[in-house]
Amino acid sequence: MLEYQIFFDYFPMILLGFWLTLKIVVCAIALGIPLGLILALGRRSNFILISFFATSFIELFRNTPFIIQVFLFYYVLPFYGLRLSAEYVGILALAAFGSAYFAEIIRAGIDAIPKGQLESARAIGMTDWQSMKNIILPQTVSIVLPPLTNQTLTLIKESAILSTITVHELTMTGLMVQGETFRPFEVFIMVALLYWALNETIASIMRRIEKRYSRNRKQNKIVRSNIDIIKSSGFSR
Amino acid sequence: MKPNFLEVIDINKKFGNINALKNVSLNVSKGEVICIIGPSGCGKSTLLRTVNWLTPPDSGKVILKGEIIGSDTGKMTFEQNRSLNEFRARIGMVFQQFNVWPHLNALENVVRAQIVVRKRMRDEAEKKAIKILNEVGLKDKIDEWPDNLSGGQKQRLAIARSLAMDPILMLLDEPTSALDPELIGEVLSVLRNLVNEGMTMLIVTHELGFASKFGDKIVFMDAGEIIESGPPNTILKSPKTERLKLFLEKLSLTSL
Amino acid sequence: MKFDISYIFDALPRLLEGALITLQVAILGFCFSIILATLITIAKTSFNSRIFNGFIAFYISFIRGTPLLVQIFLIYYVLPVFGLNLAPFPAGILAITLNSAAFVIEILRGGLASVPKGQFEAAKSLGISGYALWWKIILPQTFITSIPPLVNEFTMVLKATALLSVITVVELMRVSQQIYSANYHPVEVLSATFIIYFLMCFVVSRSSVFLEQRFKVKRA
Repeated sequence: MLEYQIFFDYFPMILLGFWLTLKIVVCAIALGIPLGLILALGRRSNFILISFFATSFIELFRNTPFIIQVFLFYYVLPFYGLRLSAEYVGILALAAFGSAYFAEIIRAGIDAIPKGQLESARAIGMTDWQSMKNIILPQTVSIVLPPLTNQTLTLIKESAILSTITVHELTMTGLMVQGETFRPFEVFIMVALLYWALNETIASIMRRIEKRYSRNRKQNKIVRSNIDIIKSSGFSR
Repeated sequence: MKPNFLEVIDINKKFGNINALKNVSLNVSKGEVICIIGPSGCGKSTLLRTVNWLTPPDSGKVILKGEIIGSDTGKMTFEQNRSLNEFRARIGMVFQQFNVWPHLNALENVVRAQIVVRKRMRDEAEKKAIKILNEVGLKDKIDEWPDNLSGGQKQRLAIARSLAMDPILMLLDEPTSALDPELIGEVLSVLRNLVNEGMTMLIVTHELGFASKFGDKIVFMDAGEIIESGPPNTILKSPKTERLKLFLEKLSLTSL
Repeated sequence: MKFDISYIFDALPRLLEGALITLQVAILGFCFSIILATLITIAKTSFNSRIFNGFIAFYISFIRGTPLLVQIFLIYYVLPVFGLNLAPFPAGILAITLNSAAFVIEILRGGLASVPKGQFEAAKSLGISGYALWWKIILPQTFITSIPPLVNEFTMVLKATALLSVITVVELMRVSQQIYSANYHPVEVLSATFIIYFLMCFVVSRSSVFLEQRFKVKRA
């Protein structure tokens, strides 16, 4: 019943689609995370206009389906004279979509840093941006890394929707092979497994990194309390 | 009449319904060490924070060496914002919770603001940092991470961080209140050195011993107002107002 | 070509009909998903079968590791190979149900964990067990705690319905495609559709605050 030949004949083609998916997602996060940072800072801004624009952008992109954002980008961009290929439209749409979620993640990270950190930076004469760049944002990195990775996994799955504007990523390629071979089971099993494998790989790497990092945290706590015991026994300055 | 070094004029600050500061005024001469005491919630920390506009007052003025800090209206122009940052670079602030930067080691804590705010070159900044870290007794801890420092060491690091900016005024908000008793002494001795070097200081503190020995003036606050102020001997030995008498009684009870 | 707002007003009636279908699909799918997820959760805690738990874990991993679009295609194009030919609408509901249930299982797991273990023991000592234990004691507490993430999941379901347009379910997205294929004004029609989706989701997530207060949910 299973036509194994399909796997061998068409896997290279499917792999090409997979490769495009990867490229698109990498470009989307390369654009989306900086944009998300700008949006997060904009949302906190004291200038009402900036804050309003940032908040609106975030809410609009988080409360609508990605598929309609894709179509809007696809049809609206030519209006402004931007005749881009479907791939680039896809990257922009995915980056915009991702940035709204990245912004909220980064904002939560910034809010998690104790207020005193920002105060001490401002009190020593740093500007808002200098405080962010030197003091606050570096401390958010360990906090935001897991949710940012999670969101990247979501972007990988959402990228399948780009097949609707004929981007030759993994899902589109699967549909094309399906159209040629009329063997949907074999084709979509390959496609699904590739997505799943990518997802699992990144997720397990992240889990391992988190485990190692939290182990360090615990060690630090023990080290610190040992030092305190020694200190209070009056042996050091 | 010598112009005052620092003038705080008619400061008002409300937090919601709470009147934290009511028409508070204070004059500080160069080199003066003023200790602010009072029950918790009396507004002493708020007063300190209005000096460098960390908490902008609702009304009133803060004038340092003849120039207004922040603005005399509620809001600031772009220019005023810029000069506020310049003022803050010349005013050192030390917090009760230390607020050292945990992602930078001790040396970098002292170096970073010098480079970013004062635009010094790295070697110059590092040399200065090492010198000051020596002076506060952290010579062996230059490469240490704040997580591995005791409370007293963290606070001395915070003081060093401020001193590296060559401040003309130091604001200290209960610098020893969060420290274990045996660590208070090391911080107080650093502060004592600062006093002897002639630094102008405003200290909110509960350490009456330090205040009486090194303070030029003690200011007693309660419920957002300055109730009494004067030299340590007068204030502590012969308080004039009832509220101050009560406060001192409570303190001596707890120190028993 | 300038943005012509008249196309929006012309399209609005049909779009709103489509929005109604979207809501029906979302509510149906979400309800089935909750029922399925609850049954699975009860089965997991009551039976403790390693095979069953393993199967469920595999199912959840698959759903969370693959795009919903691919899952939709699997149900619509692949199931017929095995003899199950579903029309677009039921296929769509099934896809959404199976997808959402995987996430609701995780949500309920969290909600269940916040029910103090003493509840099980106290109920057992009072002689309450089986159906009554779950229906009267455990599930209500689980669900009330889970209101915020469940409302969030419903907004995800609402957004997910738009994907059913690719298997020709005539919900809002599909309707809007039909309209602009005919009048060649995709920007106006899509903008209106965009706003309608936004209003639906926005209202739902705001209602979460209202629901939380009504049921006195204590935030973790």
